[in-house]
Amino acid sequence: MAAEVRMVHERLRSFPDDSWTLDRALADGGYDAARTAVTSMSPDEVVELVKNAGLRGKGGAGFPTGTKWSFVPKDVFPKYVVINHDEGEPGTFKDRELAELDPHQLIEGIIIASWAVGAEKAFIYCRGEFALGSRRMDAAIAEAYANGFLGRGIFGTKFDLDVVLHRGAGAYICGEESALLDSLEGFRGQPRLKPPFPAIKGLYGRPTVINNTETISTLPHIVANGAEWFRGWGTEKSPGTKIFSVSGHVNAPGNYEVPYGITLDELLEIAGGMKDGKRLKAIIPGGASAPLLTHGDYALDFESLKEAGTMLGSGAVVYMDETTCMVRNALVTTEFFAHESCGKCTPCREGTWWAVKVLERVEHGDGRQEDLDLLLDIANGIDGRSFCPLGDAASWALRSNVKLFRDEFERHVGDGRCPYEEEHGAHKELVGARSTGMTATGLGEAGITPQPSEGIDADQRGEW
Amino acid sequence: MKAEAFDVLTGENLETARRIIAKYPHKRSAALPLLFLVQSVEGHVTESGMKDVAKLLDLTPAEVLATGSFYTMLKKRPQGDYLVSVCRNISCTHLGARRVVAALEDALGVGPGETTPDGRFSLEAAECLATCDGAPSMQINYEDFYRVTPEGAVEVVERLRRGEEVKSTRGEVVKTAKEIARETATAGLAAALAKPSEKARLAGGETPPPDMAPGHRPKVTGDTERGDTDGG
Repeated sequence: MAAEVRMVHERLRSFPDDSWTLDRALADGGYDAARTAVTSMSPDEVVELVKNAGLRGKGGAGFPTGTKWSFVPKDVFPKYVVINHDEGEPGTFKDRELAELDPHQLIEGIIIASWAVGAEKAFIYCRGEFALGSRRMDAAIAEAYANGFLGRGIFGTKFDLDVVLHRGAGAYICGEESALLDSLEGFRGQPRLKPPFPAIKGLYGRPTVINNTETISTLPHIVANGAEWFRGWGTEKSPGTKIFSVSGHVNAPGNYEVPYGITLDELLEIAGGMKDGKRLKAIIPGGASAPLLTHGDYALDFESLKEAGTMLGSGAVVYMDETTCMVRNALVTTEFFAHESCGKCTPCREGTWWAVKVLERVEHGDGRQEDLDLLLDIANGIDGRSFCPLGDAASWALRSNVKLFRDEFERHVGDGRCPYEEEHGAHKELVGARSTGMTATGLGEAGITPQPSEGIDADQRGEW
Repeated sequence: MKAEAFDVLTGENLETARRIIAKYPHKRSAALPLLFLVQSVEGHVTESGMKDVAKLLDLTPAEVLATGSFYTMLKKRPQGDYLVSVCRNISCTHLGARRVVAALEDALGVGPGETTPDGRFSLEAAECLATCDGAPSMQINYEDFYRVTPEGAVEVVERLRRGEEVKSTRGEVVKTAKEIARETATAGLAAALAKPSEKARLAGGETPPPDMAPGHRPKVTGDTERGDTDGG
């Protein structure tokens, strides 16, 4: 039977009472790997090691980390390392835990990555809502400076490194790397046209490596134990371990570090099985963006899930039981994308908003049979027509809900009501948080009825 | 620049603002933390606060608004002392978040996006707070509450209303909205101050920041005269 493997999770699971402190980190071999890298390996050797280990990015795209680093030009200075700690993909909560419970592991990884690419300044872009994680990272960075792990002449070498903690302010899109850079530069967080990729032209127009918190936290283990050791877990193309955030109708929701390649059924077993002995109805295998699956006999690695028509994404697995209303699921998911669409591209901004309107009427029993094809049509109108993958993701999630559970959608329309209403109560739409923020991007955010010929009404425009 | 040119970021706050700016190679990066600093003084992001930020960053007020208006946590209108954010995303909805919101609506007498008339509480439905293992989850001024029940959520609010100290599931004391805005604005300053080079920089012996790559950002052209009434 598949079981947890503790690599990135080792310290925080073994020492839950003080895993985030410098004392604990040092007693547990913390910063030894960074010292090894900086004092006894050349930057190229570190890049080669990470390439040989086959480490793949853990933020969603799964791009090989060493390859990403090798795109950074050697002779251009300054260059930067940026940690994407803007975790927001619905269902994902692994990075939050790593920063809260083991910030020194992250800082050690930052030292290794910065040494490898030749950066003397690194930024941690921390999601705005993560108060505790920010507090712990802030303290940990200060401790690292005080103990000579950061600053001038690290480990007695000529290598200088500064780490700057930066807080976001509430925007899912800033998890997209180029939007993150714009946000970090003090602009609206909207994606940039690529190429040029950040490795060539990133933060302040300089070569920049952007890696996810979990990816960076894995580095000390690879440096300490070698590529071959790392490849002892997982599959050939997805080596090593992955932290899966398991939630939904399971007995023991939580983060579980397991080798790539175990099945969704095995992961469910690790998470204590389905709650109340109910039957499994649907699985989101890789965050809200990933198309649904209806059973768990799939291996959790990039290739197997791609073959199954979905994706591993950020490793957020949501198990849903037989009482789940899938129209409601589609609605909640699409509301999220509508809310978080940055507004740059029309298909995503308006398409997600219209899809929400149609899903609302289906959920409330006011739908029409043709609405089902209308939803698929809207999805097709968004997919592949925007700068960044947010719109695509919205369309994939919507399409898979409608296609896999079309009978359920039809029943809503046919019966003129939600069949799960008695069990869960009538679904109520909630005004999203952005309406309390400074302003809206999409027309719908401020509760404005879209009237394309008139646009936003004068009252709203004049508010500032 | 004359000290009296600032309305909101004055005195110690101006000092803090300058330290925040010094964290970054290019000062515009300080836009978000400075807007949080305004929120920590004013309770929300005011027009005069944005003008101060513009002056500090050599931007126009419109540029500051353009940035600030994008982000959910920067508030446009006066907010309650306690912002109650209930996650409305997938796992939380499937595990009963709507019932939590409904109970809070009853207890507070306001709906999501609204603030109680006494200015104590604001309620909002939030997007995934990355606490799905604690679904349904809630934050109060960004401290986390896991597996909240409708009754439990109301009880926490009642305790805050009575002025009691409340701790999150993770043991953190819930702060006021202004306090947490200040903490967000100054995140990373403890680390920056621990850094020897930063001490030198703050003492005036700084090395000049690296140039931005040529052509990276088109220059804002046109009339950048500020139309404020400071009289100059």
